[in-house]
Amino acid sequence: MGDPISVGLGESVVSRKEGDVLVAYGLGSCVAVSMYDPQEKVCGLLHAVLPEDSNGSATKTKFVDTGIMELLQAMEKAGARRNHLVVRIAGGANMITAPGFSKSFDIGTRNIQAAHKTLEKLMLPLKSESVGGHMGRTVRFFVGSGQLTVRMIGGEEANL
Amino acid sequence: MKQSSSLNEEWINSFQQYASEGIRNAAKGFSTMLGENLIVREPSFRQVSIGEIPKLLGGPETEAVGIYLRAEGDVSGQIMLVIPLERALQLVDMLLDLAPGTTTGLGTLERSALGEIGNLTASYFLNSLSQMSGFSARPSPPAVMVDMVGAIMDIIIATCGGSSDFVLLMQTTFICKNRSIETSFWVVPDPYTLEVLSTRA
Repeated sequence: MGDPISVGLGESVVSRKEGDVLVAYGLGSCVAVSMYDPQEKVCGLLHAVLPEDSNGSATKTKFVDTGIMELLQAMEKAGARRNHLVVRIAGGANMITAPGFSKSFDIGTRNIQAAHKTLEKLMLPLKSESVGGHMGRTVRFFVGSGQLTVRMIGGEEANL
Repeated sequence: MKQSSSLNEEWINSFQQYASEGIRNAAKGFSTMLGENLIVREPSFRQVSIGEIPKLLGGPETEAVGIYLRAEGDVSGQIMLVIPLERALQLVDMLLDLAPGTTTGLGTLERSALGEIGNLTASYFLNSLSQMSGFSARPSPPAVMVDMVGAIMDIIIATCGGSSDFVLLMQTTFICKNRSIETSFWVVPDPYTLEVLSTRA
């Protein structure tokens, strides 16, 4: 197995190298969007921070909406077929639960909504998700097998 | 909105003096609760790219306790104390006067004790800032969370990341002479506040 490839904040990575593991560590309100073409064996992972790009920012992968489009393009460029894609998402927790904070800190929820909306617009079906709640997650994406795991603090790594 | 990445160094240096004094005062707030003096490791004051933040505290998957407050008033911003989980458990033993190793998890009481540390530390910082600069701000009640560092820091990243790829960060570590409590103290002024401050400087 190769070394884990960290997919940091506002980054996306596409790989077709068997043995690679794409990892998004410690997702809080951030959302990880994974795409997998099981026939062409192409995997891609996006680690988006905010729901929408309202300013036409240069870093498209920082945002859920423009990031998903970028990831899709990169997947197709790497040989993936759009109609093969298995899409899964994880993250979007609301980290602060204390009263008084909840309203201005629902970025997690807004990130999930943005992901749903963008995928629907692109007509990409969502296979499964591990989203919301109040706990952070680490996502591991195994290139080749397409296996995707999610781990929370104090919990076991589970398949998504 | 002006990007914080365009702040000039001269201004950062002058504001750093206020902030350093504020941080020393914050350590006093922390130590009143602890009953022991704390050493403040030289505070740093710099711009960091948001992508760098989760890597600064032992890696994004490290388990830690985050104590988060907002400061609101003439100036506004975010204050976060991050303590590695093991250290936080030791800290609770010290706060509640328990034998070392007694605390193994964080329930309501333990979280409340840690929240109080955040409250005092932030209040001392803001008082000091207000005495020197004339700007006043009050801390919100603290929110305490136990999670991965990356997930905790997402709070700051998500609130600042929309307007800039950089945040202005004041960071220091508190050290207790006899016991290590390695607490990182972060202050992140809101972008609007930076504009207000820079017009005054």
